[in-house]
Amino acid sequence: MTSLPARQGWRGWLTDPNPRSRRQARLGQAWLAWLRIRRNGLAMLGLAIVGLLLLTALLAPLIAPHDPVVQDLSRRLQPPGTPGFLLGTDDFGRDILSRIIWGSRVTLYIIALVAVTAPVLGLMIGTVSGYFGGWVDAVLMRLTDIFMAFPRLILALALVAVLGPGIFNAVLAIALTAWPPYARVARAETLTVRNSDYIAAVRLQGASHLRIIAGHIVPMCLPSVIIRVTLDMAGVILIAAGLGFLGLGVQPPMPEWGQMISAGRKFLFEQWWIPTMPGLAIFLVSLGFNLLGDGLRDVLDPRSAPK
Amino acid sequence: MSPLLEVQNLRVTFDTETGPVEAVRGVSFSLGRERLGIVGESGSGKTMTGRSVLRLIRPPGRIQADRMVFDGHDLMTAGEREMRALRGKRIGMVMQDPKYSLNPVMNVGDQLTEGLRRRDGLGRADARAKALAALEAVQIRNPERVLTAYPHELSGGMGQRVMIAMMLIPEPDLLIADEPTSALDVTVQAEVLSILDRLVRDRGMGLIFISHDLRLVARFCDRVLVMYKGKIVEEIAAGRLMQAQHPYTQGLLNCLPRIGGSRAALPVLDRSGGWAQEGTQ
Amino acid sequence: MAMIDIQGLSVTFRSKGHEVRAVEDVSLSVAAQESYGLVGESGSGKSTILRAICGLAPVSAGRILIDGKPLPQGRAFSRQVQMVFQDPYASLHPRHTIDRTLSEPLAIHGLPGSDAKVVQALQDVGLPPAFRFRYPHQLSGGQRQRVAIARALMLEPKILLLDEPTSALDASVQAEVLNLLNRLRAERGLTFLMVSHDLAVIDHMCDRVLVMQHGRAVEELARADLANARMQTGYARSLFEASADRLMETK
Repeated sequence: MTSLPARQGWRGWLTDPNPRSRRQARLGQAWLAWLRIRRNGLAMLGLAIVGLLLLTALLAPLIAPHDPVVQDLSRRLQPPGTPGFLLGTDDFGRDILSRIIWGSRVTLYIIALVAVTAPVLGLMIGTVSGYFGGWVDAVLMRLTDIFMAFPRLILALALVAVLGPGIFNAVLAIALTAWPPYARVARAETLTVRNSDYIAAVRLQGASHLRIIAGHIVPMCLPSVIIRVTLDMAGVILIAAGLGFLGLGVQPPMPEWGQMISAGRKFLFEQWWIPTMPGLAIFLVSLGFNLLGDGLRDVLDPRSAPK
Repeated sequence: MSPLLEVQNLRVTFDTETGPVEAVRGVSFSLGRERLGIVGESGSGKTMTGRSVLRLIRPPGRIQADRMVFDGHDLMTAGEREMRALRGKRIGMVMQDPKYSLNPVMNVGDQLTEGLRRRDGLGRADARAKALAALEAVQIRNPERVLTAYPHELSGGMGQRVMIAMMLIPEPDLLIADEPTSALDVTVQAEVLSILDRLVRDRGMGLIFISHDLRLVARFCDRVLVMYKGKIVEEIAAGRLMQAQHPYTQGLLNCLPRIGGSRAALPVLDRSGGWAQEGTQ
Repeated sequence: MAMIDIQGLSVTFRSKGHEVRAVEDVSLSVAAQESYGLVGESGSGKSTILRAICGLAPVSAGRILIDGKPLPQGRAFSRQVQMVFQDPYASLHPRHTIDRTLSEPLAIHGLPGSDAKVVQALQDVGLPPAFRFRYPHQLSGGQRQRVAIARALMLEPKILLLDEPTSALDASVQAEVLNLLNRLRAERGLTFLMVSHDLAVIDHMCDRVLVMQHGRAVEELARADLANARMQTGYARSLFEASADRLMETK
């Protein structure tokens, strides 16, 4: 872009009041949102924690000091601070720090899979339900009610029991139980949007239902759903950990935080660090997502946005 | 006689991401027991001026003034406690849309009597009698029924009258009405105005009438301040508004369509004059 | 032949058992390239008539003919009739750029030349081309209403339904938008059906006006009758008298 004054650089490009393309306009809006979230200290802390999780998972082979699955019974039950074993070792002599680092990959895998499945399903069901109303709404919402009526963990348990234990089935179970709240949120947003003038205007232009829902209604529901997803991530991690704890999620010897707690619980009184360290990891990541979700609400929610 | 309200060099500044923005830039006026109109277009700072008198500007907004005195009370130095005692009781405010100013989950009677019972310690029966009298004063024909109604059961005009009645119960000395009739139909508008008019004359109340409608203000007020971009560009007796000197006031008057007027293109406000450029960012 | 011909139109909203008759037995006819006004207070049903034409309100009786034919359905309709809404803050999608808002009708109808047409449309309504990729919140009320007018004209309709197009705007901006609408009508031979509560705006814009009250037609007035206060009914007269300050002052 040679037409830009050099002194403004990319910042000037982003905040240009007269963007030259759709992409520039969109990036400019994202930049403003970033400026707003940057002023929120707690949200930045949350973002840092989530970023740390991403980095840890990405670099696990490089930063983990030991192999997470190789057993060495001569070094079992070392307390934290033992040279070479910062967080101690478990009952098979495996380094807990390395297991937590490798376990972050599993956690991230679960989070990512749930985040791309449940909200999409919820968004589809919610917007269709809210947009069409009538019997479509009645059927879809009763279906949502049925899924909501079951306690999440119990339903996930039942699904895993049927499908067999394993990480993919655990994710599937979580996703199938996690969508109803998103459907509710999306439907509520759709109901406030669907009678607005800008929807009436595009309908008058002859737009199809699909175009109206996908192009005009979904963008209005997206912020609420994203906020909700971020806030729910803590719950997803805990359910995944719960399934692992019950032996229905990730199967040993693959390191997974919940299953690590489960395996370590019999040592809780004598070797407290074995269940505590993965517990702290779960706590930290859940906290990070919650803080980020709260911050995103301030930035994305149109109701709280400054005029 | 000293004026009821005196404002000197009032400034309202908002700190935004892109730096401070001045909504009101050095406004001075004084008000006796009269009807003062403040007119201007959106963004002229007329609403902020009205709110500043009650110190109802939320952060990041800031109020500064050399002097802002209401009946001996210095509004700039008054504590929050003193302001609370003034708000409602001595200075009332009516907003544009009654829908957002009335509590939707409380019936009208409870909202009207709440202040009387809590602040003035009146009994249930006394408070009710006062509320009924206030509703009658704003020309509500069946006040008993309105007392038990919820805000959503009232029409726009009725809701606005209830708002005015609510503000009038403590018998304030000054009423700030911000676009009180803009949401109403023309025929209802006339009634609400005549209610306000009678209150100023009978009770000797001071009234600040904020509106975008020049013709309405000309008809209704004694004196008019015309605001543009946070400044008063012209102060004029309402009766002489049609002979206004300032190009902005003239422009605003000329660009209005008139019944029986020409169908040629309406004259458009010319913002190229020096008055429009001065001090803009 | 009449461009818009409405006979015995009734609109009834049903909700939770009780019926609200928003429009009752209204007939009107608008000639091609005429500008016709609907005036009345809130709840008089004037906006509901526009919505009924667009199929956004349930018609319970009567018929609506456009250009002598029954209301065309779907996309054919949108190439004949478009609407400009009252509140420019609510009628543009807050998360779409102006470019997307204006090119959407072309995309729906599969029309080519989107780029050039969007630039031309902005120019036609007096907006600088630099505004093309702005979002609605970066525009003032008047600029937004210009975008809404440009959007309504993208499909080159014959009829423009105007629902209080300037009541949310400042007086000086109102003049600009009214001038723009009049210019576009002259240039493109548009037929206007315009709703307003402001008799002065109606008088400036419309050749004939229908006064409405409580969903019924009260009286139809030609422009000359309005200016000279030749009303037959009491309601039309009271409406006129309440707008007395909007009369041309006689010096």
